[in-house]
Amino acid sequence: MDLRFDPIHGKTAEIIDAMMASPDMPEDDSLRFKLNLCIEEAVGNVVNYAYEGGMGYIDVHTDLEDGVLTIRLTDSGKPFNPLEKDDPDITLSAEDREIGGLGIFLCKQMMDSLDYRYEQGRNIFTMKLKVN
Amino acid sequence: MTTTITNDGNAYSAILKGRIDTTTADQFQKDVAPLLAAKGAQVEIDCSGLEYTSSQGLRIFLMLQKTISAGGGSLVLKGMRSAVREVFDITGFSSIIKII
Repeated sequence: MDLRFDPIHGKTAEIIDAMMASPDMPEDDSLRFKLNLCIEEAVGNVVNYAYEGGMGYIDVHTDLEDGVLTIRLTDSGKPFNPLEKDDPDITLSAEDREIGGLGIFLCKQMMDSLDYRYEQGRNIFTMKLKVN
Repeated sequence: MTTTITNDGNAYSAILKGRIDTTTADQFQKDVAPLLAAKGAQVEIDCSGLEYTSSQGLRIFLMLQKTISAGGGSLVLKGMRSAVREVFDITGFSSIIKII
């Protein structure tokens, strides 16, 4: 499935819903939960930070091949690598835990692979998950 | 997403129903404000109706734990569904928030 949203301002939920409705998505609830969470994180980052005022596009791509689901998000906004943040220290007490950094950490644990590249003025973020 | 809060003195009981995500997280944060305001509150949150939480939801739970315990109170989450529990486990939240 391939879709483009342009502009993206205020469309986080709409984009997530469209991706979760892709025919490539698995039916298993546990897998859908994990995918929903990672898609929400990745799409939210683009909608909130890629463009000034959300005035730009996002291309979303899903495909399913040999039991592996691939999701790719592409935008032409500010270069932003969500993977370069340090992981939160998950051994800290509640008082010491930082509020942020959890979303992408969850994606790293829940997806089989995450890939980021910046090519020809585009951020390209790819997630893969074995779904059967 | 609905949050229903009742209290008997300092014993607070909250029931969650629905999803905490981009569209509902701000409202959820407002809805739990009474739990943050009460000093020394013994708070129990029934999570059996919580279908999904994004990382925004986790942040709000962490804030609840930090604020309630700093105020001398206690927080317990009960009846969590397994998919939601897994998210708490992966992030280490199960070690810092009481879940039964």
